[in-house]
Amino acid sequence: MSDSYAYAGQILRVDLSAGKTWADPFTPEDQRKYIGGAGLGAKILWEEVPPEVAWDDPGNRLIMATGPLAGLPIWGTGGLTVVTRGALTGGATNTNANGFFGANIKLCGYDALVLQGRSEGWVYVHIQDDRVELKDATHLLGKDTWETQQALESELGLSGHQLSVYSIGPAGENLVRFAAIQGDYGHVASKNGCGAVMGSKRVKAVVIERGGKGISVAHMKALYAAADEIAHNLQNDPSTKGLYLYGTLGGVRNLHGMGALPIRNYTTNVWPDGLETKKWEGPSLREGFDHRGHQCNACGMYHCHMQVISSGPHKGAIVDEPEYEGWSGAGWATGATEPSEVSWMNTQLDRACVDVNEWGWLCGWVMECQEKGYISESDLGFRLEWGDIEGANRLLQMISRREGMGDLLAEGVKRASEKVGGEAADCAIYTMKGDSPRGHDHRARWEEMLDTCTGGGGTMDTAPAVQPTEFGLPARIGAQDPDLVPLAVGTMRGRRHFEDSLGACVFTTRVRMEVLCRSIEAATGWDIRREEAMTAGRRTATLFRAFNLRCGIGPELERPSKRYGSTPVDGPLKGVSIMDQWEKMLDIWYETVGYDRATGRPTAETLAALDLEELIEPLWGKEAAARV
Amino acid sequence: MKVLKIVPERCTGCMRCELACSYEQTGAFQPSKSVIRVSAFEGHTSYSPYTCPQCDEGWCLTACPVEAISINAAGAKDVMDEACVGCKLCTIACPYGTIFYDPARHKAFKCDLCGGAPACVDVCPRAAILYEEAEVSDWVGPFAAERTHGPGGALTAEVK
Repeated sequence: MSDSYAYAGQILRVDLSAGKTWADPFTPEDQRKYIGGAGLGAKILWEEVPPEVAWDDPGNRLIMATGPLAGLPIWGTGGLTVVTRGALTGGATNTNANGFFGANIKLCGYDALVLQGRSEGWVYVHIQDDRVELKDATHLLGKDTWETQQALESELGLSGHQLSVYSIGPAGENLVRFAAIQGDYGHVASKNGCGAVMGSKRVKAVVIERGGKGISVAHMKALYAAADEIAHNLQNDPSTKGLYLYGTLGGVRNLHGMGALPIRNYTTNVWPDGLETKKWEGPSLREGFDHRGHQCNACGMYHCHMQVISSGPHKGAIVDEPEYEGWSGAGWATGATEPSEVSWMNTQLDRACVDVNEWGWLCGWVMECQEKGYISESDLGFRLEWGDIEGANRLLQMISRREGMGDLLAEGVKRASEKVGGEAADCAIYTMKGDSPRGHDHRARWEEMLDTCTGGGGTMDTAPAVQPTEFGLPARIGAQDPDLVPLAVGTMRGRRHFEDSLGACVFTTRVRMEVLCRSIEAATGWDIRREEAMTAGRRTATLFRAFNLRCGIGPELERPSKRYGSTPVDGPLKGVSIMDQWEKMLDIWYETVGYDRATGRPTAETLAALDLEELIEPLWGKEAAARV
Repeated sequence: MKVLKIVPERCTGCMRCELACSYEQTGAFQPSKSVIRVSAFEGHTSYSPYTCPQCDEGWCLTACPVEAISINAAGAKDVMDEACVGCKLCTIACPYGTIFYDPARHKAFKCDLCGGAPACVDVCPRAAILYEEAEVSDWVGPFAAERTHGPGGALTAEVK
């Protein structure tokens, strides 16, 4: 067992080129400074991936990390954070999934796994306590993620949560730029092509047996008290109660009301006439299916479920209940309006294994281009109409195998639309860095558009403010308030990065920071308070930003594509333009976060305050470093 | 007597019971040492915990050649570490597979109902494990049979 509470104290290293594995210490000093997960990943990425190492270069690192809360009895603590140089932006990636990865790898004695190099043939990484092997994965090639997990369960004779399998599907094997990593039937680290990075290393899967080691904590009774307090808050706080009962299912109806449900590639914000809207309420989406709880480590939320398709050609198929993002990306963005069809499609995306958000923007774009004649039937090979789920799945299979036009579309919507050019190029939704926005219409959620465009991890960085009054912000912030929105995004910056460092789920950390810190104190024995936690989070955010600047990704790219930043033509926000306020919002955001507006660099003062003095010279030069 | 009544339909497979139980056994969260264990059924859609039913027959107790298993105040069959010689006969005799052997300590170990305040009951977020007076001891059988072969209900499709 490790010397420090709550941590395993080791980082598992795998050099695929050399076929070597070893463990490095995760020292108590680094634990406190970088926490784990995203923080640990950011440190390794900054230190080990120089700008000449591209996303598909063997020298790139694929960091799969967890944190101090993983494997403990706090709700939702099976967390996986994937950090790498990603295929869409060519910059940093910070993308998270849950399930049992974090618990199982820590019980094997590791806080993180770092893959480097490139294997000669396809392998899977098999972790069984101290035994780590690279095993031939040729027989798994072409299998989707669920088939891969089932095959490995049979091969290793283990079932249920005795085995965690986080794998890529055909999309990752074929280096689709928005390929994802999926694990434990329905948990996806999806952003910035992390699955393509795994594929470029010729790793089909990371396979973790539930380890035999133990995790000790500093104060067991205080840990349960903190876990109970978090659970109580999630069950009773008006801002989380809906999540507790129905996960993110309530999002569809609520976001439609705000004008933030992205329908048909941002061409409308109004539900079609005759839609049975009742079917799209949270309780209906849950009760409309035969459903069963499929919770992550130690979780009591009524969130993740498995369900059975209730009607249509796929009746009886077992799928993972979609998150809001699935209803949106596999559904509304492509004009699909029948829940059972969308639910089925959502799991096909997890199985072929691509990011559901990028999928929505890409498939919706293809559909719009066909409707308007920018992409012909012969270009694509078939006719793809709005809402055609079987056609969408056909497109998905083409893309994940890079067949026909699928080869171009596998590059993601930014590159594909730029290549097709003309009017088609104006219809695509992305940031100029290449990030995939989350599955909302951000023209009605200015905080998320600003956040996604300024973010450093492959999608939004900070997310809508959680418990904002704790930070001196108003309880409710108007989604189109050009002064408060950037102030809130800037002020909250770091909270999400801290959460992403804990090995927990962002839906179970939606409590006041003081409460969250109490759980970390009980686990680790640290006297950690909100300021320290926020500094750690901001340090992580700043490392990602510095990494991106070093890769040549600067402030000139911090804006939406033409369609992403366009003005809604109907719905509650008809005629309201975010771009009129864009420069002003950037000014306020830069001022709030302490970065230089002209160069995008964190100022020397900001770096010093975050205990990142070593970044001053690489970002500002020797003279500036000498002045500090 | 009060026993662990398991309601498998409520279990979501979060494994919190295993964490709490293992802490009682070892002072760390170490599910490999838990004496309540969660199994999965039917394509990861169904889970159930399973532990010693404290059977009337007391197979482990009868088989022990050194009388190291006794009945504690809560009515649970309990291994007395100081008497256990680690011969594993109890693990062979138990028809339920719910008494285990710890090679590190060279001792058998099993559910002792935490002396009358079972930790697994306290921590289950779904009340899938209750501590109640009951005559029944087989809580999982019918559920396991249904969720493995799926004769009824909608969840009969093979996961492809």
